[in-house]
Amino acid sequence: MRTVLIDDDALGIFLATRLFQRAGLGEELTTFVSPVEAVAFLQQQARDGTLPDVILLDLNMPMMSGWEVLAALQPLARHLQGHCAIYILTSSLAPADLNRAQECPLVTGVLHKPLDQAEVQAIRARARDR
Amino acid sequence: MLGTSPNKSTSGVLSSSRCLRHGRLARGQPFVGPLQYRARVFPYVFLRALLCARYGTIGGITAIYCTMKAPFPLATSRIRFQSLLENSPELILYQNAEGIMLDANPAFLTLVQQTRQQVRYWSYYDFLPLQVRTLCWEKLRETLATGHSVRFDLFASQGSSAPRHGDVLKVLLVDHGWVVGVHMLARDRSEKVKSQAALFRQNRDLQQISCIVSHNLRAPLANALGMVNLLRIGKSGSWSFQQAHTHLQASLPQLDQVLHDLNTILASRDQPGRAAPEAVPLADGVRQVVEDLHELVVQAGGTVEVYIPAGLRVPTNPAYLYSIFFHLLSHALKYRADERPRQVLITASRNPAGKTIVVADNGSGFEQERAGTSIFQLDQRFHPHHAGRGVGLYLVNTHVERIGGHMEAYSWVGEGARFLIFLPSGSHANRTH
Repeated sequence: MRTVLIDDDALGIFLATRLFQRAGLGEELTTFVSPVEAVAFLQQQARDGTLPDVILLDLNMPMMSGWEVLAALQPLARHLQGHCAIYILTSSLAPADLNRAQECPLVTGVLHKPLDQAEVQAIRARARDR
Repeated sequence: MLGTSPNKSTSGVLSSSRCLRHGRLARGQPFVGPLQYRARVFPYVFLRALLCARYGTIGGITAIYCTMKAPFPLATSRIRFQSLLENSPELILYQNAEGIMLDANPAFLTLVQQTRQQVRYWSYYDFLPLQVRTLCWEKLRETLATGHSVRFDLFASQGSSAPRHGDVLKVLLVDHGWVVGVHMLARDRSEKVKSQAALFRQNRDLQQISCIVSHNLRAPLANALGMVNLLRIGKSGSWSFQQAHTHLQASLPQLDQVLHDLNTILASRDQPGRAAPEAVPLADGVRQVVEDLHELVVQAGGTVEVYIPAGLRVPTNPAYLYSIFFHLLSHALKYRADERPRQVLITASRNPAGKTIVVADNGSGFEQERAGTSIFQLDQRFHPHHAGRGVGLYLVNTHVERIGGHMEAYSWVGEGARFLIFLPSGSHANRTH
């Protein structure tokens, strides 16, 4: 399960990396602290036809929020839909964020931090079923 | 025709056309006796008057003399208008088409501290600040041009009064088809505007606090929970176990700091006394922060230079002042450019408009265009690769606004950032505008 994690928080990345390693998915996880670099990477992947199976996207990031990342990925929608599951991974408990995520067709689901083993397994199971 | 003095019968001539509408009078028969007459004497007031009418002849014209006992005798329009003019707390002016005051009521005279004779034949615009004269002139022209009443909001001082919010109404006065002037009524809405502003501020604060709880407080807590989970499933003594332990230790002070900030915000809301104006020596307040952050400055290998004129005081309280400079200096040290030694320069100066305080650094800066005006909002973070809670600059801005000032931020990526605090002369705590 090739996964891209976009999170400016080093601790968030550390936690996700450890959990993916424990699940045997460490090699397939690519992490980005900068959302700008992540968008450029994904655009290139779309051109190469190698988009990941899963994207985990933080919302509250400097320079470019998770919503802005989604807007930047919108032109790739036809490549993403049906092939790549995008999960919002946020510490936010704001209902407004949840509602907005549900309205976004690119978003598969919302995960509240901290990520745990059960969620990693659920993401994997869902990616297998696609 | 109607009585002019209370509880006293009075006589007058009833318009024959009106009387003829009634029963026997309408049929041309003489009538003596009580007559119920509903007189529409005021747009919204109907009075029942008991009339006793009899015929008489004046100069060959048949007239009806009537005696009226009005339960609520009415004053003449002149007296009614005079009473309104003299006793109304609203400002009432009577102007000609050029805006020259022909009359003003005591409420206005008290406000501008002039007598009626002093203000008569003066232009009303002379009592207004320059920036609103055009507005008032245009509204007067609009009233004259359209013939309709014109209502508008005005925030201005009148004469040497303090600026007040007014709901202004201009009403055209026409006599026999000729425009003879314009009435101006101004109702003071300052208290209402003030409470609306307070309500707006409270709503905004509540939103901000909700934002702090759901984002800023939750983020380090989520990290701490995640690390605890890793400690639970990890092998004690392993590298990842140690890492998780270190990260947990880092998360908890962050959580604590957010709680402290939240407490500062709540305390300043709940205890207005905390914000009581107090002339605090600026240099002392800044020196205290620099001393407390000395270790951080040394760790950053940086220098902080302070140039503040001796005796310069700012109207705030020491807690706010400390908070302002603590967060600005922390910000300057945190977002440093790694390739050069950090330098922070804090200067202050007096000028005719008030005081200007500048905190400048040579750090990594941020993209000015992206930051825009939202840099002082919660959850706005502009520095990639740096941890941030997004509360600091919001708190600084809130404190500065609370003491009547405002802030501006300028930055260039890779060159540094400059935060300017403007405090107007006479700015005070709890200022609402």
